[in-house]
Amino acid sequence: MSALGAGLVALLALTLVKATPLIYAALGGVLSERSGVVNIGLEGILVAGAFGSVVASAATGNPLVGAFAGVVAGALLAAVLAFAATRLGVDQIVAGTGLNIVALGGAAYGLVLIFGQPGASPEVPSLGRAGEAVLIALAFGLAAALWFALFRTPWGLRVRSCGENPRAAEIAGIDALQTRFWAVVIGGAIAALGGVYLSLAELDLYSDGMTAGRGYIALAAVIFGRWNPWGALGAALFFGFFAALQYSLQRSGIPSELMQALPYLAALVALAGFAGRVRAPAANGVPFERS
Amino acid sequence: MAEPAALTLRGISKRFGSIVAVDGVDIDVAPGEIHALVGENGAGKSTLAAIAYGAVKPDAGSIEARGTVGLVHQHFALIERLRVWENILLGREPRAGLRIDRSRARAVVGDLARRHGLAVDPDAVVETLPVGIKQRVELLRELAREPAVLLLDEPTAALAPSEIDAFFVTVRALAQRGTAILIVTHKLAEVMGYSGRVTVMRRGKIVARFRTAETSAAEIARAMVGGEIPALTARAATQPSPRLVVRDLRAGTGAGAIAGASLHVEAGEIVGIAGIEGNGQTLLADAIGGVVPYTGELALDGESLPAGQSPAQRIARGIRIIPQDRRREALVLDWNIIDNVALGRQREPPLRRGAVIDRAVAGRFAADVIERFDVRPPNPKAIVGALSGGNQQKVVVGRALAGSPALVVAYQPTRGIDVGAATLVGSRLIEARNAGAAVLLISFELDEIFALADRVYVMFGGAIVGEFARADIDRGRIGALMAGT
Amino acid sequence: MRRTLRDALIALAVVFGVGSIAMLLGHVSPVVGFAALFDGALGNQSELAETLLQTTALLFPALGVALAFRAGLFNIGAEGQIVLGGMTAGVLGVALPLPGPLLVPTVLIAAAAAGGAWGGLAGFLKARFGANEVIATLMLNTIAVLFATYLIGGPFKQPGAGAAETPQLPPAAWLPVLVPGTRLSVSFPIALALGAAIWYVFRQTVFGYELRAAGEAPEAARRAGIDLGRTAFTTMALSGAIAGLGGATIVMGVLHRFNTGLSPGYGFIAIAVALVGNLEPPFIIIAAFGFGILQSGAIAMQAEANVPRDVVTLIEGLVIVALAGRRFAAERRAA
Repeated sequence: MSALGAGLVALLALTLVKATPLIYAALGGVLSERSGVVNIGLEGILVAGAFGSVVASAATGNPLVGAFAGVVAGALLAAVLAFAATRLGVDQIVAGTGLNIVALGGAAYGLVLIFGQPGASPEVPSLGRAGEAVLIALAFGLAAALWFALFRTPWGLRVRSCGENPRAAEIAGIDALQTRFWAVVIGGAIAALGGVYLSLAELDLYSDGMTAGRGYIALAAVIFGRWNPWGALGAALFFGFFAALQYSLQRSGIPSELMQALPYLAALVALAGFAGRVRAPAANGVPFERS
Repeated sequence: MAEPAALTLRGISKRFGSIVAVDGVDIDVAPGEIHALVGENGAGKSTLAAIAYGAVKPDAGSIEARGTVGLVHQHFALIERLRVWENILLGREPRAGLRIDRSRARAVVGDLARRHGLAVDPDAVVETLPVGIKQRVELLRELAREPAVLLLDEPTAALAPSEIDAFFVTVRALAQRGTAILIVTHKLAEVMGYSGRVTVMRRGKIVARFRTAETSAAEIARAMVGGEIPALTARAATQPSPRLVVRDLRAGTGAGAIAGASLHVEAGEIVGIAGIEGNGQTLLADAIGGVVPYTGELALDGESLPAGQSPAQRIARGIRIIPQDRRREALVLDWNIIDNVALGRQREPPLRRGAVIDRAVAGRFAADVIERFDVRPPNPKAIVGALSGGNQQKVVVGRALAGSPALVVAYQPTRGIDVGAATLVGSRLIEARNAGAAVLLISFELDEIFALADRVYVMFGGAIVGEFARADIDRGRIGALMAGT
Repeated sequence: MRRTLRDALIALAVVFGVGSIAMLLGHVSPVVGFAALFDGALGNQSELAETLLQTTALLFPALGVALAFRAGLFNIGAEGQIVLGGMTAGVLGVALPLPGPLLVPTVLIAAAAAGGAWGGLAGFLKARFGANEVIATLMLNTIAVLFATYLIGGPFKQPGAGAAETPQLPPAAWLPVLVPGTRLSVSFPIALALGAAIWYVFRQTVFGYELRAAGEAPEAARRAGIDLGRTAFTTMALSGAIAGLGGATIVMGVLHRFNTGLSPGYGFIAIAVALVGNLEPPFIIIAAFGFGILQSGAIAMQAEANVPRDVVTLIEGLVIVALAGRRFAAERRAA
């Protein structure tokens, strides 16, 4: 294979690696927003997934248990937001921002509390290359599954109706608040897998700031992907490509900071270019109150 | 032996806060009957329908229904971005394993549509459909539940005449099959054409019951709007010179659009716009206020008002709007009276002094309004959200009438406020008129219009369909025009 | 006033309640932990000066965030605005050949302009394209750090610069010290003055009046002739300028050079400060002092009572969640 060909393959492989956590977070965001709840807290859920899985893996020596624990941790964090958004009707954006800080602070605190050292955890049993491949494939599988669930099953229809017109959904006999709650929690569980990937598959430890704003890029991917699982997957791959490009262009003379900024710039451009022209679920972000 | 009624409501009462919406209503609907419930805006018809459906709990009274009750809402409860079959079968989706059996769903909907003679494309996305078809979907959604009683709330408000005929063919077929039908409407032509019995509501009470065959539209209209004409109040002479001229105004699409309205208001004149809500009044007020785009001509004191103007420019020209929804469109509820009175004039001297708001002037303006309009409590620092509805409205009206405006558009100025406040607001509007302002009074309550207007237009379907000088006011005729006959 | 009191009590409950639980998890008595915190923050003059320093660093972005909140906008990008303001100060402070009395004000104004441009960019994207300002400002945070890193290592590189930082500022560019022997500079009274100025803007000026109306009753504001798009842009720009100014004071008053790590999350904690202060400058100042105690005491708490300082971050996040109740009747759609 020519050098160019090998380079391209490497680039594609790296794209998949960089995109996978974004895919999970974006899928979680799609589910949550389709039900009508904006989840700014995706970043915190990634942190919870990454940190929780490392702790459990270290404690049990079993990375699979770790992965499971990471998913549970993400779901729990999402449950806090879900409860606050549905039962308490709080401002979803402020609450999500707060949860991100809680997760980051909690993880940093946990590092010292549990591992006795700040900054990063020691290495823990990881899922290895095989696990990494599984998680990458699973991301695609989950996109397909989520698409099927949202657009082919009764549950998905009800979730979407809550995101478009919760009052009409309630007239049809659906409990809009409960549907939203579970959509956010399940979305959190899915997103947490992105964190698990970061800490137990791509690496084998947790370090402060390892999520690096991926949760926010995922939000842009949700919009760019028009709240559709396949669209979000595509957008995540797109942003992941830019992240991967950085390594290939390292010796090209383009400043490395510009390369690193590419995914964020791409997200910003996508936001500006698309925001006016795509429509979110009509009741997205609007707390629903029964009169 | 008479068949027992399919729906029986006895002694139903309901209040929202201090407003009595429904007051001791008895009504029943027999299987196979088409029963019309008529009344003006605010008469309580929609509330009664919501109570019968079970969406609202009455404070008193009993509801008995022999079977399921369906309700076709006035403002459709459809999910625009979903398909027809998804809307109709939401919550009762046919399944095949984990997934929805879409072919069965389409078949069920197609079947249902055929059975009732209502052609729809099950796969169409609702928001792409014309209003008449959307209403079919709304109707089919309820019919899918095989209701014994079907409530229709203003079902033809958004339909074109041809669609209305088709609609009633369906309704008749349903009645023939034994469904009990209660149709809430203000359109007397339809009432006369299709119903068997008519019940008239006014201010929450039943005021008349008729057998349709034994009455006339005129009689029903009279019952709807009440018999008495309020005493005329003393009038100062007016000088005829048109201040506001509206020619062929068009704005909006679909229900509530203005479709070529023309009218004029002279200096020193109060002109009333009578009509049932939803016939273009809101867009009329918004177009004059510079809030929505429009085509057609608007002129004030001979000078044309360009269509692209902003609300700020309209205010600067001396146009003041008293909006329909004071809590959302006129007031900042968390602020005090002083700050609310300043709203709208904050950029003009003397309120504005350079970059700063002149507190002394603002205080004076507020004190003026409080005094002229007897706002209680008379504390300029009182938070507006804590005032009663009547006092809130006094602040809004006081603000609008301050400073000799050229044109005042008063949209439901006495809605939901106590009699004392309403009388005061009315007197002040007359004073503004006497000082030479042009006042356009848009209201859904004929009593309000008749108490204040020198001339009355009737608005229906987005156009002006009648004009009456004060001396020629004919309640029955106006009521009929409002109802589209 | 009642709401402010209630929010303050909730915040205190979160701080002491959650803080105690976290300390107990770490086998530290809350009494010991909090005592170390307060002693470390207020124990003696130099520690109080450090606390006031932290207060100042928080107060600037908090005022900016509160300004935006009052207009119904979320400025989550204060971090990036602080970085760009600080970078401007770090570069111009070295590069501008102006005498002292002229240099300091010029650099401060330039830094505010930089932060204002960054905030204004988000405001423009929102007003013109309807882009969600939350996601936009979050993206701009990261882009700001990368942009600043590039600039100070490349086109704006000054002689004598270290890796990823600017050279030390000449004494002419230092902010005068307020209390000798401490790091507390005139930035503290500047921040207080700014708080008073914003309080004045809210209460007395036409701009402040329209801003508040746009945030609290957008429909009524629109009909009263207020241009919502222009208000959004101006507010975001002003908010960014204030945060940028804060970044400059950190560089010119404390670090005396710029590096991209100059803010340990002040822009995010500022959200908590603004909420606890119920978006009113006098209370924001008090809240900033409270959080300043947390920030500066945390280091002592870690050293003396063995409680990791990150527990403070955790608490701050929970305060934000606890105070996330809806503030205005205006609905906000996220995308």
